[in-house]
Amino acid sequence: MADAPILEVRNLVTAFDTDAGQVIAVDGVSFQCHRGRTLGIVGESGCGKSVTALSIMRLLPQPMGRILGGEILFDGRDLAQATPEQMYQVRGGKIGMIFQEPMTALNPVHTIGRQLAEVFLLHKTRDRAEALRLAIEMLKHVGIPSPEVRVGEYPHQLSGGMRQRVVIAMALACRPQLVIADEPTTALDVTIQAQILDLMQQLQAELGMSIMLITHDLGVIAEMCDDVVVMYGGRIAESGPVEAIFENPSHPYTRGLLDSIPRLGGQRKSRLRIIDGMVPALKDMPPGCRFQNRCPFAVDRCRKDQPAIEQVAPGHAVACHRWREVVAGAAVSATS
Amino acid sequence: MRDYFLRRLLLIPPTFIGVTLLVFAITRFVPGGPLERAIMEARTSETRRGGDMGRSSTSEEQLADLKAYYGLDKPIPVAYVQWLGKVVRCDLGTSHRFNEPVRDLITQRLPVSLVYGGITLALTYGVCIPLGIAKAIRHRTGFDNATSALIFFGYAVPGYALGAILIVFLAARAEWFPMSGFVGENFSDLSIWGKVVDLAHHAVLPLVCYAITSFAFLTMLMKNQLMDNLAADFVRTAVAKGVSFKTAVLRHALRNSLIPLATHLGASLTVFVGGSYLIEFIFDINGMGLLGVQSIFDRDYPSVMGVLVVSSLVLLTGNVISDMLIALIDPRVRFK
Repeated sequence: MADAPILEVRNLVTAFDTDAGQVIAVDGVSFQCHRGRTLGIVGESGCGKSVTALSIMRLLPQPMGRILGGEILFDGRDLAQATPEQMYQVRGGKIGMIFQEPMTALNPVHTIGRQLAEVFLLHKTRDRAEALRLAIEMLKHVGIPSPEVRVGEYPHQLSGGMRQRVVIAMALACRPQLVIADEPTTALDVTIQAQILDLMQQLQAELGMSIMLITHDLGVIAEMCDDVVVMYGGRIAESGPVEAIFENPSHPYTRGLLDSIPRLGGQRKSRLRIIDGMVPALKDMPPGCRFQNRCPFAVDRCRKDQPAIEQVAPGHAVACHRWREVVAGAAVSATS
Repeated sequence: MRDYFLRRLLLIPPTFIGVTLLVFAITRFVPGGPLERAIMEARTSETRRGGDMGRSSTSEEQLADLKAYYGLDKPIPVAYVQWLGKVVRCDLGTSHRFNEPVRDLITQRLPVSLVYGGITLALTYGVCIPLGIAKAIRHRTGFDNATSALIFFGYAVPGYALGAILIVFLAARAEWFPMSGFVGENFSDLSIWGKVVDLAHHAVLPLVCYAITSFAFLTMLMKNQLMDNLAADFVRTAVAKGVSFKTAVLRHALRNSLIPLATHLGASLTVFVGGSYLIEFIFDINGMGLLGVQSIFDRDYPSVMGVLVVSSLVLLTGNVISDMLIALIDPRVRFK
């Protein structure tokens, strides 16, 4: 069982009821998150990465959001079928979650100590004094200076970086097996970003949990992740080990993402490479491949048939009819 | 913080002086004052006695006496300072209409208004807060829509109009409730329990009318605030920690939603003391509202000023109290 992934998502389909009818936000997504490793999920806004995370936590906005199909196997149990009471145990206890906005993720009217102690009271102890002691310890753990003072303070008295440390402390308080971090550094200054990522890596080394890191920042992926899932339009475009994705990107979308990273060595003030066009709205996704309207490799077949997932190498999969040409084209442009 | 509220309390006397001075001055300028009335009365009685129509019966001497009697012989500033000096000694002067000390008039009527105001306040907040919570949680269900329809019907009907309808149907035709009065005629003969029942029996219809005025506003304010907060990031954080939906509502969303309601409380306190003239008039309740308005009609200026003293003091302290409540609920509010 040591090799069994801590989280295995199979064919997840998540939909939202809107005024314009049902919209499928996540359409048949499958991936695995291995024990002690970090999985990155990358994609543009609206590609379904956050909805995937909320589906796993069963935190979809109610009553609009719904899991229509698929399995979410966490430690062998299907969370898609779990009762609300079972989810209370999982959330905060077995899976911790870190949110994007540290400025709003904490309750403004309760002290840091009370909010942090709440996690311990829910999962570990019934003793308030004990919970508060654990909270102080946890604050120390995430590098908050003078935690004894900070527990009595309110969120507005802390900086953004400090607040994100508190959010991380809450997510990790009960030593969860998996931490889902939804854009944990997006709202922070660059210097603070690095500190927070360092902190997460350090805590992962200490506590041995798995991390599912959702981001649109390939730099963060490269620094943090072992495996990567690239999502586009609610589906997986490409997935594999981080080296394979960066060295041998086989989906035109992945290539586009990598090409659009500004490089220090490049000519300054030259135009950045961009992916032309816009992501179509979820409700009017084209048939066939969803990237077709922006893809330089698109042919007729891409407009009709949804591409199947194909193996590029062991563990490296891609959903593209023309991935061989994409890889060959990359090789050509690399040699030229 | 303490200094702030000390300063706020110190600001009450000057504001009070401003309010009363203004009204005091107005009473001097408005036509139809007590002097003119006395002259009119004297003339009509003389006419009835068949006196000489052409000659003015009120001599200069009598006029001066009357002026002195009504305190109109002195300039406004002097008269005001004299009046204020008496107010400080708890002497509000003598009512022209009742020939009784205004203080006695107010102490007779204040309990009536306090009972109605207190119950109304408790009733509206006690019903609107839970109802708002229930409506927010069951947003867009049959329960929510039905209560909304009812609430907006109530909002559209003014309290006094509803009072008239209730008197016609429930008191006059069905005879379920007494038509008017604060207590029944045989009140003093009743046992303590009988007195309570009698008081409650008389209070039902007026209370409904009182409550309906702010009912829709408070309920919808509560509902909308709570819905905003339920969608807030910090509630999602709380649920991700493993708290149940109920706890998330009560512990995390509710307190944030009460902040605007606390703001409204200060203004509600005026109803507490002032009552509503029209509702008191319809139900023939001898409260402060009725006293205040009838004193104005009768140009009974000592009574007008007396009612003003009480209601302005209540409003001024009410505002300070509601600021204190806000500071108590919201730790971000710190006055300097």
